Amino acid sequence: MRNNKLKSIYLSLLAAFIFMLFPWSGLALTLRPDFMLLVIIFWLLRAPNQCSVGTAWFMGLWIDLATGGIFGQYALAYTITTFIAVIYQRRLVLFSSTQQLVYVFSLLLVSQLIILILKTFAGNEFTGWSYFMPSLTGALLWQLAVTLGLNTGRHSRGN
Amino acid sequence: MLPGIHQNFDQQQAPAFFARGPSPLARLAFFTALSLALMATDSRLQYLTSIRATLMNLLHPLQVVANAPSEIFESTDKYFTTHHQLLKENSQLKQQVLIQNISLQKLNLLALENANLRDLLHAQQALAESSTLAEILHVGRDSFTKKIIVNRGKNHHIVTGAAAVDATGVVGQVTRTYPSSSEITLITDKSLAIPIQIERNGLRAIAFGRGRDNTLDLPYLPANVDIRRGDKLVTSGIDGVYPSGLTVATVTEITTAPESPFAHIVCIPTGGIEHSRQVLIVNLPQSEEPDMTANEATADDSKKAAAAAPSKDAAASANSKPAHTEPTVAPAQAKPEQPKKVEPPATEKTQNKPLTPDQGQHHAQQ
Repeated sequence: MRNNKLKSIYLSLLAAFIFMLFPWSGLALTLRPDFMLLVIIFWLLRAPNQCSVGTAWFMGLWIDLATGGIFGQYALAYTITTFIAVIYQRRLVLFSSTQQLVYVFSLLLVSQLIILILKTFAGNEFTGWSYFMPSLTGALLWQLAVTLGLNTGRHSRGN
Repeated sequence: MLPGIHQNFDQQQAPAFFARGPSPLARLAFFTALSLALMATDSRLQYLTSIRATLMNLLHPLQVVANAPSEIFESTDKYFTTHHQLLKENSQLKQQVLIQNISLQKLNLLALENANLRDLLHAQQALAESSTLAEILHVGRDSFTKKIIVNRGKNHHIVTGAAAVDATGVVGQVTRTYPSSSEITLITDKSLAIPIQIERNGLRAIAFGRGRDNTLDLPYLPANVDIRRGDKLVTSGIDGVYPSGLTVATVTEITTAPESPFAHIVCIPTGGIEHSRQVLIVNLPQSEEPDMTANEATADDSKKAAAAAPSKDAAASANSKPAHTEPTVAPAQAKPEQPKKVEPPATEKTQNKPLTPDQGQHHAQQ
C-alpha cells in the first residue's frame, strides 16, 4: 500500500514540476498557480509520513533550478510553508471545506511573501499587487479539485 | 534521496501514535539553515555553477516534454491555416522579397564602399559576427527577473556574454550557458544595462532595464538633454558585446521634475521581447582589443592628418601615407577582393533565417 502511495506521490510531484516548466508567459504567467506547492500541501495533509518538510525543500531546489534564481529561495519558502502546514495538519481533519480553503490560501500567500522578502533582499523590486494572483488562482484550483471529488485529508481515516 | 523521508520510514516501524521522525521544528531549523547556506554560496561564491549546469542537463528532457503540448498545438494550428491565407501571404512575401532585393543591391554597393573607406583609414575590417538561431524553450517563471531559456548552449558554441537579437531589435544577453540550453537576460531586466546611441543625433547613453512593465530607463541624463518622444535608440557598439546599429527601443515618455537635475526618460523596447519564439544569438566579436587600438591609432592618425592638412596642404597627408592613396584612385581593383570578406556571413545568416531589412542592413554595414 505504502509503495503505491509513494509512487503516486512521486508521480504527482513530477507532474506538478512539468506543469511549472510549461512555457508560461504574459497573463498566464501572472495567473499561474504554484502547482508544486499545492501538490506538496495535498500530500502533507494526506500522507504526512511520506511527504514532509524535507520533500518540500528538495522540490523547492528544483523549482529554484528551473527559475534560474539563486539556489535556496524557493527551498526556504517551501520549507517554512510546509512547517506551518505540518503544525496544523492534525487540526485540519476537523476543518470544514471553507476553512480548509482559507487555510490553503494563506499557506500559498505565506510562501509568496517569503519569496517576495528574499527577492527584495536580493535587489529586486515589488512588481505590483498582481504578484499575489497565483495564491488566489491556487486556492481556486484547490476548490475545483475538492469539488471534483479529491479527498484532501478531511476523512483520511479510511486510507 | 531525501533524508527526511528515509528517516520517516525508520520511524514508522515503531508503532507509536505520534512518532513522525525528527520534530517538525528540528526539520525546519535544519532545512532553513541548509537553504540559507545555499543562498549565500550561490550568490556570493561561484562553487555551484558546474552543479547547476549538470542539473540543468538532467532537466533538459523534462523541459522538452513540457514544451511538447504547445509545440503540437502550434504545428496543428499551422496545419489548419487556410489555403486562401497562405496564398495571400505568399504574394505579400513575394512583393517583400522584390523590395528587399532592390535595397540589398544598394547595400552591397554600400558595403563595398565602406570596405574601401575603411581600407583608406587603416582600420581593421570589422569582424562579421557569426550567429546562431535559437528557439525559446521557456520564458522565465519568475515575475521578478526577465529571463528566457533557449535551446542552444555550450554544445553549440554559445558563450556567456553573447548578444541576443530578433528581427526587430535587441532582446538581451546570454548570462548563463548550460550544455544544451542557455539563459538569456532580457534588456528589460533590472540587472542589465546596454550602451545606446540616439539615432537622430548620435548622443550616447546607457539604458537600464526597469525590471517591470517591460520598459527601459535612461537615467543620469540632464533635464535639458536633446531627446524627444519617438526617438529611436540603437546600440552604440562601444561595449564590444552588441554589434552597433541594432534597434533597441523607442522613447515614449520624458518628464522633468523641478527638484531633480535629471530627466526621467522611459523607453519601450522594439524587439519582440514578450512574443518572439526565436532569437538570434550573435557571438562576441572575437578580437576586441586589437580592433580598439587600431581604431584609436587611426583616430590619432586622422587627427594628425587633419592638423597637418591646413598648414602643409593635401600634399603632406599624401606623402605620409603614399601606399594607401592608391585605392582611392582605383577602387575597382579592390572590388573583387572585398566582397569575399563581407559576404560569407551574410549567406550563412540567410541559411539560418530569412533576413529582415534591419538585420541585413546592419550586417552589410559590418
